[in-house]
Amino acid sequence: MPIYCPTLTTIDLNATKRHINKVNQPGSFTTDMLTAACLQAQLLSVPKGVWQVYAYDQDEHTILANKPLALTAANLIRQLTGAVEIVIMAATIGLPLELEVSNLFMQNQASSGMLLDAAGTTAITATSNAVYNVISQQAAQAGLTAGNRICPGFGDCPLDLQPEVLKLSTGSRIDLSLTDTKMLVPRKSVTAIIGLYPYQNTLSFPHQQELNCDKNGHPGCHARKEK
Amino acid sequence: MFYIFDGAMGTMLHQAGLQPGKCPELWNIEEPAKITAVHSQYVAAGANIIETNTFGANRIKLSHYGLENKVAALNTAAVAAARQAAGTTAQVAGSVGPTGKFIEPLGELTFDDAYDVFYEQISALDQAGIDYIIIETIIDIQEMRVALLAAKAATDKPIICQLSFDADGRTVTGTDPRTAAITLEAMGASIIGANCSLGPAQLLPVIEILSQNCTLPISVQPNAGMPQLVNGQTVFPMSAEEMAEWVPKLAAAGASFIGGCCGTTPAHIKAIRQTVDKLPYKERQLPTPFTALTSRTRAVTLGARFAPVIIGERINPTGRKALAADIKEGNFITVKKDALAQIKAGAAILDVNMGVPGINQVATMKQAIEDLSTLVDAPLAIDTTDPATLEVALKAYPGRALINSITAETERMEAFFPLAKKFGAAVLCLPIADSGVPMTAVDRVAVAKKLIATAQEYGLNRDDLLLDALVMTVATDAQAAAETLQTLKLYREQLGCPSVMGLSNVSFGLPRRDLMNAAFCAMALDAGLDAPILNPFDPLMQDIWSAAVALSGRNPQAVIEYSKKYVALPAGAAPSLPAETSADILTQIRQCVINGETTGVAPLVRQALAENHTPLTITEQALTAAMNEVGQAFGKGLCFLPQVLLSAETMRTAFNTIKEELPAHQTQSLGTVLLATVKGDIHDLGKNIVAALMENNGFTVIDLGKDVDAETIVAAAKQHHPQIVGLCALMTTTLPQIDIAIAALKADGFSGKTIVGGAVLTENYARQAGADAYAANGIDAVNIAKQLLATH
Repeated sequence: MPIYCPTLTTIDLNATKRHINKVNQPGSFTTDMLTAACLQAQLLSVPKGVWQVYAYDQDEHTILANKPLALTAANLIRQLTGAVEIVIMAATIGLPLELEVSNLFMQNQASSGMLLDAAGTTAITATSNAVYNVISQQAAQAGLTAGNRICPGFGDCPLDLQPEVLKLSTGSRIDLSLTDTKMLVPRKSVTAIIGLYPYQNTLSFPHQQELNCDKNGHPGCHARKEK
Repeated sequence: MFYIFDGAMGTMLHQAGLQPGKCPELWNIEEPAKITAVHSQYVAAGANIIETNTFGANRIKLSHYGLENKVAALNTAAVAAARQAAGTTAQVAGSVGPTGKFIEPLGELTFDDAYDVFYEQISALDQAGIDYIIIETIIDIQEMRVALLAAKAATDKPIICQLSFDADGRTVTGTDPRTAAITLEAMGASIIGANCSLGPAQLLPVIEILSQNCTLPISVQPNAGMPQLVNGQTVFPMSAEEMAEWVPKLAAAGASFIGGCCGTTPAHIKAIRQTVDKLPYKERQLPTPFTALTSRTRAVTLGARFAPVIIGERINPTGRKALAADIKEGNFITVKKDALAQIKAGAAILDVNMGVPGINQVATMKQAIEDLSTLVDAPLAIDTTDPATLEVALKAYPGRALINSITAETERMEAFFPLAKKFGAAVLCLPIADSGVPMTAVDRVAVAKKLIATAQEYGLNRDDLLLDALVMTVATDAQAAAETLQTLKLYREQLGCPSVMGLSNVSFGLPRRDLMNAAFCAMALDAGLDAPILNPFDPLMQDIWSAAVALSGRNPQAVIEYSKKYVALPAGAAPSLPAETSADILTQIRQCVINGETTGVAPLVRQALAENHTPLTITEQALTAAMNEVGQAFGKGLCFLPQVLLSAETMRTAFNTIKEELPAHQTQSLGTVLLATVKGDIHDLGKNIVAALMENNGFTVIDLGKDVDAETIVAAAKQHHPQIVGLCALMTTTLPQIDIAIAALKADGFSGKTIVGGAVLTENYARQAGADAYAANGIDAVNIAKQLLATH
């Protein structure tokens, strides 16, 4: 599968505000700072994505890669019920932004650092969405619909899967790696498992419903939505 | 007349026995009779254009099957099989699908490699004897540009360009139908359209927009509805009759080439044919030609019928040493910053000039164009006098660029007009002949006419051309501005092309250039200027531009935009000046810290010291009081972390100012805090926030960073004797390191306190791990630290 470098012609201000739990106050000085942080994130981000498509054995709950990956987490298996293929994707915005965040903290510009970090979260979300859109479109041409992105370490997907997921996504092609504790490097990166399901517009699958942020078991998730 | 395409090939081949996973194009050689049989069904159904079985017959796609060396053979065989079915009844279109890779900078495939791949396939199709080339199911405008260029070089046959659009009305990489229509017509497509991904209902608005924005015939090949997988088979649910019901609507929208894509069968084509045969053909009303520039995702129109637009001039190293130095080093951060800032300041188009002596112009311009075209959606003007640089820029640019510029000098026209024609670029024409700069409006118009005539000889149209009115300084010729204004008027009356000019030349050599330039801008807009090249950051120019455009009547929204921009400001008000206050100086400092005004606090602190307030008084009554207020507001949810951090930074600036003014003054540290994110954890945002808040609240902070093992924490505690050790962990996998680090500290006899925090930590876990306290956030950490030390 190809490497895809989506364009980021804007970093959404409102999405960035959500990441720092900042309500919109008219005339707030932080709006200017937020705008500056979003512009800087746009300059520093190097968005890239990559993915691979695998057949999926529903009975054995196994992703049929060269080295098959048998899934064991019950909730993950449940989410992938009905999938006929699995896409494993990886996306990142690279190192420059997080290095600049560290720089800002070292220069005692903690507020700017924090805002830039939040804008970086918006950037990786937008990058991941853009990659997902290509995957969805390609799947649709084959009569399949792409399910939700299931990320290791979030919700039903154990973090222990991260090494295999990264390998299956071929994330090393976009310079992704893992620490010993299974954290992605660069930090503003994501991997995801995506089930491809037969398109049925008369049925609704539970896995296709959006999971409430309170239920995903990850209170520290930067993409957490306000109620 | 209407032209009816055939329907899907893939499903028909599977029905004829093609096994899943096998290369469909290989059947052109192995089972030509079956291919011809499918074509014959469509011809019998009424198709008058059939597409060859070559959708994936390019080198890259064929390499998945090890057939990359069979491009010519497979394409030739495909044409033969189609021709056998077509006979004299139908025509044959050579189908060219995508490579499956993105072209740089969106992917790894170079422009030249992609060009070679398409050229190879299209040459084979052309030599085998097709009637059309149809480039279809393309999701990225740059891939379509490359394929179209290759097609124009490989064949004289008409070229059909069909993009695939998503339900949001754009291609996957963001191109809307209007932008696509403008870009592809300018580049020389013969027919423009859309296919795949969507059914006829979803494609109808796409067809309407394509039709309203180009003068070319429009094609459409929808899917038979949205696909479903039933018993392992992909099924497209729209019946032939349902599909045919959409034909009159698609025709009314402007389509004259109609067929079907995924899921359509000979039955669908027959139904479409039967409907079309009863449909009276009406020539569609073509849009009035207009001039526009495009990026990958946006079109900007220019001319008398449209609002004037600004072309930002700042990406130009002339007279900008720092920018020139950056460009020379290959550092494009300033270029990108200038791009974003100019757009924010109102520029709709950006001029890009990389003219730094001694650099590789070609490579530099390519980099600049690639970087900017992925960063902004504003169209770009490529500002160069070098044909090689221009060519590489036009290749790299995924839209319709503006070439800045071409003069009427013979050598320049011969080099630049062909490139403009080839790449579908618009051209800014400077009426400067071999004999030099014409000084009068009448002479300029005469040269402009010659330029237009020559451009037309190269195949360009009037709406490909913009005219520069030439701006000379009034410092040496008092009539210079008047001649330029007259030139603009004559351009509008006699030639009709949009006008462009660089305003700032008019004031060269004079004082208060900003006044001159702004006044000239207003006058030029009235004389008919469509797109000034100017510095959008100039505040006077911004104000005059807003007012002049509102007065001109050329932008219906301009008066409203003007009102919104200025309604809060009384006449003469400068919005950035703070109101004067009569509060005492300590109250002013306190408010400054609460508001996070890092730049405003230093002069206030100096004033307070000058008024004989002691550092202790300033600290207690202004700074600490302010942070307490901020902390309370944070606790009540009335303000949030960024504001808290900004207040803390302001307090720090105040402390630094006291230190600068009174070097002998020693601020007493509240205590030493050692901070670390534990081993295996590389997330440090939370820890950094705590460090900043601790430091700005008067603690001495020793920050060990991230991924710190217990041994290092213990050793640092021995060395620095902190009163508090703060530990942070973000992930469940690193949580156990909190326990390990605390146990190690205790085993070593650490007598201070431990505070822990992080996304996965809880009060309970902190207690179990043996920590003295759990902090939910940075403010908590500061308050807990103060409490612990007060009771210690």
